Amino acid sequence: MYGIIAFFRKNYFVLLFAALEFLSLSFVFKDNYYHEAGYFNTSNSIAGSIYTTESNISSYFSLKTQNNQLVEENAQLHNLIAGTGDTTKHPKVLQKNPYGQQFNFMTAEVIDNTTNLLNNHITLNVGKTQGVVSGMGVMAPSGIVGIVVNVSDHYSVVMSLLHKNFQLSAMLKKGGAFGTISWKGGDYQMALLSQIPMSEKVKVGDTVVTSGYSNIFPKDVMVGVVEEFKPIPDQYFFSIKVRLATNFKKLRYVYVVSDLGKQEKTDLEDKTTKEEGH
Amino acid sequence: MVTEFVKNIFRFFLFILIQVAIIKHLELGRFINPFLYVIFILMLPIRMDRTLVMVLAFFSGMVVDMFYNTMGMNAAACVFMAYCRPWVLNFYSPKGDYETSSKPNIQSMGAIWVASYAGTLIVLHHLVLFFLEALTLSSFFTTLLKVILSGAATLGLVLLSQLFMQQRRQR
Repeated sequence: MYGIIAFFRKNYFVLLFAALEFLSLSFVFKDNYYHEAGYFNTSNSIAGSIYTTESNISSYFSLKTQNNQLVEENAQLHNLIAGTGDTTKHPKVLQKNPYGQQFNFMTAEVIDNTTNLLNNHITLNVGKTQGVVSGMGVMAPSGIVGIVVNVSDHYSVVMSLLHKNFQLSAMLKKGGAFGTISWKGGDYQMALLSQIPMSEKVKVGDTVVTSGYSNIFPKDVMVGVVEEFKPIPDQYFFSIKVRLATNFKKLRYVYVVSDLGKQEKTDLEDKTTKEEGH
Repeated sequence: MVTEFVKNIFRFFLFILIQVAIIKHLELGRFINPFLYVIFILMLPIRMDRTLVMVLAFFSGMVVDMFYNTMGMNAAACVFMAYCRPWVLNFYSPKGDYETSSKPNIQSMGAIWVASYAGTLIVLHHLVLFFLEALTLSSFFTTLLKVILSGAATLGLVLLSQLFMQQRRQR
């Protein structure tokens, strides 16, 4: 017994070091694999209010650019309604399914955003109160942005497409081949489209859009255009560099996308499991 | 003694605010992400209890993690840095140990001492941080380059901040 106490007294510094490292690393790995809802991120009220203040100040300096972007988007939407626009150039805000409107778009303001890290996140000024839940998609007028990973009452944290763990099903508009879009760090304008079989025809300049398989985004939301492609040796797939449609450095207003059908589906599943439980 | 305590608390808030509100949004390219807030840990008194230093380091790392959405990464890096600090201090100790009045700043110890002491600890901190961020060794050299370039940027900012604080003191 005395031996144990003596051991602790002698090595308390190393033991404290080990304990704190273990604690920190468990946070790192837990966060990396589960993205559990927690409040120790920019969605909490302290970080949220600091970044809201900062964004309120900085927004004055970009009012003109923002106005231009909104006007441009308005024009695109008018074109879409008139049926004269090219639908790949902008999100399908009015997409319908046989049962009526399937996707709901909520406007949100970006209050914090980075592009120069390996794991970039975006903080939005909408949260649970506005109906945001983890797993919803986020898109800008020009293309996809990311996926909501953490929500508090008034803020939400989005895993940017510019995050090493980001993955989303995407497809080539021409030919319809499916692949996965991801980002490996580096250039904020370039992403990687993988798992497109070498049997498919790929051309530089081809449009890459969402596949709609994940129930996160509607089908055909713009991702980017093929910049460069080469076959991976010994594999049957192309490695495709995609120039992203979204300018992540200039994000200001975005849409949080909720799949109304998904909600219905999960509700039905919940109900079924409950009834089976009785 | 009390004023030193207040100064340290002031530095904690000031440098963390500078880190998360300004430096986080600087766009200096993919290899340069300075972490100036570690200056708070670097400038804790030389003779401060190493256990307390470690707890404070953990705490400051967690606060920065909160703003970076990088749960635990900065905390792990800071704890490692605090663990190494006594050895680094010992390694760079002048002949006949530190004076009781010595502070880890340029005015008290000179620029060369601060650059080597801070430089060593910053590299150790950034090594843990950037390898945890990558969480793989496949991009080993990219990550290493990031450690070196960001480390140099952090050290530059630390020295600049010290000179700035020193000038204010003299005025």
